[in-house]
Amino acid sequence: MDMVFQLLFQGIGIGSVYALVALGFVLIFRATNVVNFAQGEFSMVAAFLMVIFSVDLEWPYWISFLLSLGGMAIYGALFNLGVYFPLRHRTYLPVIISTIGASILVSNSTLALYGPQPQVLQPLLDFPGFNIGTVYLDAQYLLIIGLTVVLVAFQYWFFEHTLLGKKLQATSQDKEMASLLGIPVATMIMLTFVYSAMIGGLAGILVAPILFVSIHMGGTIALKAFAATIIGGFGDVAGAIIGGLALGVIETFGAAYVSVPYKDGFAFLVLVAFLVFRPQGIFGERVAEKA
Amino acid sequence: MPLIELKDVSVRYGEIEALRGVSLSVEAGEVVTLLGGNGAGKSTTLRAISGLTKPASGEILYEGKSLTGLGPEEIVRMGIAHVPEGRRVFPGLTAHENIMLGASNRSGISKEQIDQEADAMFDLFSDIRPFQHVLGWTLSGGQQQMVAVARGLMAKPKLLLLDEPSLGLAPVIVSKVFDIIKEIRRRGTTVLLVEQNARMGLSVADRGYVLETGRLVVTGKPDELWNNEDVRAAYLGGHARAAAKA
Amino acid sequence: MSSMIDIYRASAQRKQRGLLAYIALIAVLVYVAATTTFDGYVTNILMQAVTYAVAVMGLTVVLGLCGQINLAQAAFFGLGAYAVGLGTVDYGLSYWICMGLGLIVVFAFGAFLGTSTIRLGGHYLAMVTISFQQILTLVMINWIPVTHGPDGVSRILKPNLFNTPQSYLAFCVVVLAVVGYLVWQLPSTKLGRAMRAVRDNELAAGVTGIDIQRTKVTAFAICALLGGLGGGLFAGGFSYVSPDQFSFAESIVFLTMVLLGGVASPIGAVIGTGLLILIPEWLRFLKSIPGLYLAIYGLAVILIVLFMPDGIWGFVVQQFKKLRGSLRLSAELPELTLVQTQAHADDVLVVNNLAKHFGGLKAVDDISFVVKRGSVHALIGPNGSGKTTTLNVLSGLYTPTAGAVQLDGQDITHFAPHERTASGLGRTFQNIRLFRSMTALENVIIGVERPGNPVDHAPIALEGRARSALNFVGLGDRADELVTSFSYGHQRLIEIARAVAGNPTLLLLDEPAAGLNSTEKMELRDLLKRIAAKGLTILIIDHDMTLVSEVAEHITVLNFGRRIADGDAVSVLNHPDVVTAYLGSDANAAH
Repeated sequence: MDMVFQLLFQGIGIGSVYALVALGFVLIFRATNVVNFAQGEFSMVAAFLMVIFSVDLEWPYWISFLLSLGGMAIYGALFNLGVYFPLRHRTYLPVIISTIGASILVSNSTLALYGPQPQVLQPLLDFPGFNIGTVYLDAQYLLIIGLTVVLVAFQYWFFEHTLLGKKLQATSQDKEMASLLGIPVATMIMLTFVYSAMIGGLAGILVAPILFVSIHMGGTIALKAFAATIIGGFGDVAGAIIGGLALGVIETFGAAYVSVPYKDGFAFLVLVAFLVFRPQGIFGERVAEKA
Repeated sequence: MPLIELKDVSVRYGEIEALRGVSLSVEAGEVVTLLGGNGAGKSTTLRAISGLTKPASGEILYEGKSLTGLGPEEIVRMGIAHVPEGRRVFPGLTAHENIMLGASNRSGISKEQIDQEADAMFDLFSDIRPFQHVLGWTLSGGQQQMVAVARGLMAKPKLLLLDEPSLGLAPVIVSKVFDIIKEIRRRGTTVLLVEQNARMGLSVADRGYVLETGRLVVTGKPDELWNNEDVRAAYLGGHARAAAKA
Repeated sequence: MSSMIDIYRASAQRKQRGLLAYIALIAVLVYVAATTTFDGYVTNILMQAVTYAVAVMGLTVVLGLCGQINLAQAAFFGLGAYAVGLGTVDYGLSYWICMGLGLIVVFAFGAFLGTSTIRLGGHYLAMVTISFQQILTLVMINWIPVTHGPDGVSRILKPNLFNTPQSYLAFCVVVLAVVGYLVWQLPSTKLGRAMRAVRDNELAAGVTGIDIQRTKVTAFAICALLGGLGGGLFAGGFSYVSPDQFSFAESIVFLTMVLLGGVASPIGAVIGTGLLILIPEWLRFLKSIPGLYLAIYGLAVILIVLFMPDGIWGFVVQQFKKLRGSLRLSAELPELTLVQTQAHADDVLVVNNLAKHFGGLKAVDDISFVVKRGSVHALIGPNGSGKTTTLNVLSGLYTPTAGAVQLDGQDITHFAPHERTASGLGRTFQNIRLFRSMTALENVIIGVERPGNPVDHAPIALEGRARSALNFVGLGDRADELVTSFSYGHQRLIEIARAVAGNPTLLLLDEPAAGLNSTEKMELRDLLKRIAAKGLTILIIDHDMTLVSEVAEHITVLNFGRRIADGDAVSVLNHPDVVTAYLGSDANAAH
């Protein structure tokens, strides 16, 4: 029984990371109707920035953290201008291919610049964790869960109680009408990309001490974020979060009870299963029909 | 000087000529109605004014200034609000939030002030006050229309472009909407109204224009237009001309 | 003036000469491959180029022709390679049997992936294919007892028949040549046209009678088949396979090759593959920095999508087209006949209590009407009256909330669009839905190929009927031009020709006059009268009252989703309710 709680705790921990990445992904999709296959690279780049600042340059952790997030804001803006903006009027296929190209470009540029060795990032907090009974609560996981809760609360407040949040929502619901009211749509989309890059980056920095920081972490995380959004219902914000948590739990239990090497495969199987049998996810709207 | 003037404006959607050399004007304080059957180019006229569609040729002058090349965000800031066809209330936001966003073209005002102004809107649109915290997609057609018009007024426009406000609404609701249009006009806003329902459209107007396949065919005061055979023909086809003569 | 048979014979002769030239070229290449002893390094490059090109042609079919994205081509390539590798090394089977088994397996997987496209498209499809790719890579790496895991399979032998590098290379060149020829011919076959139609305009494809699901599944299966074939050849050529050769990164490489060369043509596939294998060899330093090579690939993909969406060969073809000018053939053709399939009833279309609700909105609220055989019937009403919704329910794009629709005595209420077409329904669209990459003739041939059309389906007869249909609408001498070179009004006529060529029992015209100028409207009116004179039943929806009053014998009027008038044209148009509906009423006045 304790094993179950242990796995549950870890599952929710890693699931929170997936939830953060899925959240960023869904926000971009709602604002621009683009499925961003390069979403995972936000996490990967941020983790590498942390390594550069805090390990290579040996700057204090918190400063590195803030600089990395700042770097992600800039990266998100550049991504918007370079990848989305030139293709915003084209059909879905060129855009998908372009974001896939961006994903390959970014991950391999990092490889070229930094080298293939996976890097190690120290956890933020010094103490390793504590026990409740025989269940061991790792400090990094607690931090992840804690920060995710804070961020989701912040985001909820921001979208529901600020005017800017309402303008962002309006833009993602009807771009043309938003511009007719004077809402600066291009700025709204830019903000969405910047925010999405930053929370993706946060997820990467949080998960880095647990996994290694490697070139490939982006691709794997991205696909898990997709799986999470499909489970929760594509395009649904709450669904992305719940889907992420669910996936983390499924994966952790799967690794423990079924097989470790195929751990990553669970996400894909779940993705395929949902896409084939229930494409609208648990909460989502009808997915494919348009007359 | 007219508040807004179109000079020989043509608009194309790909190969199709939606507007061919249309010239019209609206003086400050007027209510002018654009009539015509489907596909006549009425909505296109409004879209050209608000910047959603760029004219292929011709000029649009607002208070004497040319609007050529300006986008919708700039044009609404200059004081032209467009309430488009189909209402287009943001489905995931409440009525109150929708209306608050109508003030997005104005700078330098606080959220509290916008909130107060939105509240005041519900005095004019009293029928929707009980629904102010209801999400857009669950509102009925008539309620959405009122929200859309209130939202347009929040921009404090000098010129309000209203596209087919009666579309899909039951007659009772339609008359309420048109009462509001009369009140808007009484408060001093200039209105350019597009309507397929010729009778209602002319009931609130000072003047009217009739479009047919992208061209202006006749203009005049409401009574003149209502009794004009060409107007009936524009809606019901050539034989209606014959029947009217009979 | 030549006859249809003459035209056909001339084109067949041209094709024969082309084929002979092709065979000659291939023979030369094969001879060179078989007799020259290249050094090992060059042999490897050529081997890789040829086997990759076969796989890339699979993408030409599924992406170029059918418009569906497939990011798992490396997985299929790997399946074929492992089939040959494991089969010959571990199980001692002959190369040919392993290749055959491998092809069956990939074909099945490809068809399975294709079925997932049924409810999904676009990015969902991309995700499913990526997942499939990743799962397969995981299996290759981790199922060690069967696949040997990361060690891979080594010492794979070539088949006895071609067991020298030269002869094997020659064999691969022949395979590539055959595959290339088949892929080149595919666009002009019925299946190829169906794929192109699905890519150009899926909705219209369904309505013209094409089974969209089956077409997509077939496209995927063919793509997988070619991927597996390439992989099997690859295994024999390189003697060693391992999981990292068939990863997602390699799928991207295949994708880049097809995009660079030109996505819709096998020539593009060869160009793209050749360039992307040779260039890195010339710029060998790129491979010395890990990641740089693939980073440039990623950048290349973005740039190609932005600036050269048709690829190199696509660009070349565009230039060539401008020089060639258009081909004008005149032919003496029989007059178009419109065959009435067995007349079951006098009532061609019976609509009973039809309703369509969208949530609380009753777009269509209990309407009934009957269209009689041989009549021209108009369905009119002001904006928002429910006409278009009714039309969409009639053609199967919406399912009705209630009510029934009978076509020529058959209940079609729940038929899918292509099933209705097979039952005799023909339709045109308000916002013209022609297949934009095709010529007028090809568009109309698709119309002729509608299942259930009681005509001779031999290619020459199909083409003859299509040309007759184009003649009938007055565009016969421009049949071989791309539809994009026609004016809007003429495109409308081509769409009508496409529908009429299928011998429909009922022709549904959705706002045929929309966007036409007055001259074009008069031509349309005359055409409609000519069609009616041949006894075809027509249901027309339009706003142009002049046109409607000139062609329609019988009119049904809708308002607010309900029927407010139904009868002969003259009385309906003078009916007070109809006048009120259009001109509006004073809501406060008592009726």
